[in-house]
Amino acid sequence: MKNYIHSKSQFMIRFLIGLLAAALLPLFIKTPFAVHVMILICIWAILGMGWNFIGGYAGQVSNGHALFYGIGAYSCAIGMKSFGATPWVTMWIGVAISVGLAFVLGAPLLRLKGHYFAVATMAIGESGRIIFLNWSAVGGATGVDFLEKTKPAWYTMQFTSKYSYYYIYLIFVTIILMLTKVLDKSKFGYYLRAIKANEESAQSVGINTSRYKMLAFMLSAGVVSLAGSLYANYLQYIDPMVVMPLNVSLMICLVAVMGGIGTVIGPVIGAIVLTVISEYTRAAFSSVRGFDLFLYGILVILIVIFLPDGLVSLFKRKKQKVLTPLEMEGKIK
Amino acid sequence: MKTILEIKNATKKFGGLVANEDVSFCVQEEEIVGVVGPNGAGKTTLFNSISGAHSLTSGNVIFNGIDITKKKSYEICKLGVGRTFQIPQSLNDMTVLDNVLVASLNRFKTVEDAKAHTEKVIAMCGLAAFIYMYAGDLNVMQKKRLEIARALATQPTLLLLDETMAGLSGVERKEAINLIRRIRTSGISILMIEHVMEVVMSVSDRVVVLNSGKLLAEGTPEEVTGNPEVIRAYLGGKTI
Repeated sequence: MKNYIHSKSQFMIRFLIGLLAAALLPLFIKTPFAVHVMILICIWAILGMGWNFIGGYAGQVSNGHALFYGIGAYSCAIGMKSFGATPWVTMWIGVAISVGLAFVLGAPLLRLKGHYFAVATMAIGESGRIIFLNWSAVGGATGVDFLEKTKPAWYTMQFTSKYSYYYIYLIFVTIILMLTKVLDKSKFGYYLRAIKANEESAQSVGINTSRYKMLAFMLSAGVVSLAGSLYANYLQYIDPMVVMPLNVSLMICLVAVMGGIGTVIGPVIGAIVLTVISEYTRAAFSSVRGFDLFLYGILVILIVIFLPDGLVSLFKRKKQKVLTPLEMEGKIK
Repeated sequence: MKTILEIKNATKKFGGLVANEDVSFCVQEEEIVGVVGPNGAGKTTLFNSISGAHSLTSGNVIFNGIDITKKKSYEICKLGVGRTFQIPQSLNDMTVLDNVLVASLNRFKTVEDAKAHTEKVIAMCGLAAFIYMYAGDLNVMQKKRLEIARALATQPTLLLLDETMAGLSGVERKEAINLIRRIRTSGISILMIEHVMEVVMSVSDRVVVLNSGKLLAEGTPEEVTGNPEVIRAYLGGKTI
């Protein structure tokens, strides 16, 4: 029990230091490009943490989360353009739609296991993109441009300063990080890890596995949708190729996997490292077309080879082998 | 005495293969019933039918007066049936403590509440020295213990043990027998599949013999081992 409190306060200290650093960082950064990267980090961190619930904790690898990302983005875009509604409200409508859709899709999808679930979610995500591409009421392939200058910035969430975006998004990252931390040590977290480890065994100790997988999928969809809303408000222009392509689905997965799946802080670290690498290689090698992706690919391969448990394993103390009583006797002698 | 588990005309078919045919027997409160039979007699199939891993083709399973034939395994566990698997199904990437904790959460709302119970069960099963080891690093005996601990942690009134003694040495087996006796003393009925006759004879109140899916004999260990049908099923021989 003492240990538990100790680890909890340790987390709080690290968390507060991290938060303070993140909050003070803009004071030293004056280039707009760096702030842009920081905003993207926030968005990818939320995406990674959202995916982590179903993909990391429950072990059901989804490759279709761009669908929920797109729904979040579109609900804000359409809300603003057609109804003049504030994103502060429409983002929650997007969350509700995504959670509802996850409930409907989850019923058949979550019956599938392993690769079949991965392939099926990929198909669903792609179908979503094609539907939006051909849906003229939501702009079709031309997308939605919803820049709004007549209303106050706090209402439209369209700021001229990048710093405002950064701080608002940082608050969202903090809230979702805290949520993950609470769930990690709760019954819900333990149940999801048990489902990931062995579903049949989990059922035999009284876990309603389909219900918990469904809850994780809905939670995950909701959080990803929120990130979609934030991204749309930052860009003020979206089309299906920006928010719903397959590589967004895969990047969401990659952020969590690189950082460390099934961990609280993993997706955030993954988001920081991957976004920095991807944005800066793109900026630095803009003259050689495709070289940034080449470099990015090499770095990802290196991380996978040398840190299979994700970047988070760099920060963890080496796992000490727990000795059995027999081994201990051997040591004493 | 109260009947805790009643199996009525249980039949389970996998396509054309009949794994259990018209099996009926009861388990009374605080009783240890052994299930024996040659390989392929349908013992594990019967266990899976009781615990809800799959449901019977026909017949009924009644637990504490409730028909659980068509219920899902997690519902059956909630009602109070704990089970172990013949091949241990521990959560290998989690520690022994977390393995048992997950099972304890069956009866407790929060992790904090479940912790004390978890520690008690671990101590009872003799795993206290291994709580921070990963379940995947345990040896066979410890894994079988962990199976029992996980089943016990769900606070069952009936425990289904599927060959928890297989592969254990003499000393380990004696310890395991003691554990089973302790479990019974705490008021839990046990239905156990066992091949090791030493164990069956020493702990069971009654023994049920299955052969090719059918109930061959039922009675006290002495009655059953004296039964010529049973001897024939095990050792072979001409039909008289």
